[in-house]
Amino acid sequence: MNENEFGAKMKPWLDRTAAGIGEMQATRLKAARLRAMDAYREPVRLLGLVRVSSGTAQTLRYSVVQRSLLWLPLAILIAVLAVRSASEPDVADIDVQLLTQELPPDAFLDQDFRSWLGKSQG
Amino acid sequence: MARQVARLIAVLLIAAAGAAWASPGDPDRLKTPQTPWNRLSPDERRILQPVAPEWDRLPGYQQERLKGAARRYPQMQPIQKERFDQRIRDWAAMTPEQRRAARETFQGLRKLPPDKQHELRERWLQQHPDRATPPPAPPRNAR
Repeated sequence: MNENEFGAKMKPWLDRTAAGIGEMQATRLKAARLRAMDAYREPVRLLGLVRVSSGTAQTLRYSVVQRSLLWLPLAILIAVLAVRSASEPDVADIDVQLLTQELPPDAFLDQDFRSWLGKSQG
Repeated sequence: MARQVARLIAVLLIAAAGAAWASPGDPDRLKTPQTPWNRLSPDERRILQPVAPEWDRLPGYQQERLKGAARRYPQMQPIQKERFDQRIRDWAAMTPEQRRAARETFQGLRKLPPDKQHELRERWLQQHPDRATPPPAPPRNAR
């Protein structure tokens, strides 16, 4: 039994008993009905495949957006680390280049050499 | 649910930040396990022979770097192999701070234009004529 069939079955019973309720209850029921009608939205299709109530669709949408926002900082951090590690040369590579080029490694600790380098960089 | 996801992400972020802090440039913080000399491959033992006496005293991260250098050895030119053989022992004997400083200076040099690099090398070699690389020796049969 779907929602419409259930409503149709309930309608005569509600009409019969509506006359017996007081003005206060009638007003409250009317307000509740108006709220329910106001909240009612047509069901929507998700990806053109599944038909779900608009409330469910809204929850799903909220959930997806919220989770995306939560994962976003982590995704950015991972991307930054990946770029950083890709751009940083391997220390073993540097060591090999340093050990196999023209100058001996202790030249790079020589104060004179470092001072000349500083001046050339400036 | 959202709170659990947020908590999980916070934990992952802290772990990632920790990993970033202990970057490849500072691996002594990672406590790399040591590799005993007898666990090296025959090729690694042959290439790293100059540091064999000190090998078991070297920290794990330095052993890994030397193993990395040994893996590149077969692709080196003969003169590079000779320099590597001559220098690796002194290099391994340097303190981590000295090696870090030497790498920084070396990388600084490499950022200069080639003619400037050449000028600085020549200037240093003129001041230290005894440290110039000897001409390449004939290839050794062992390697």
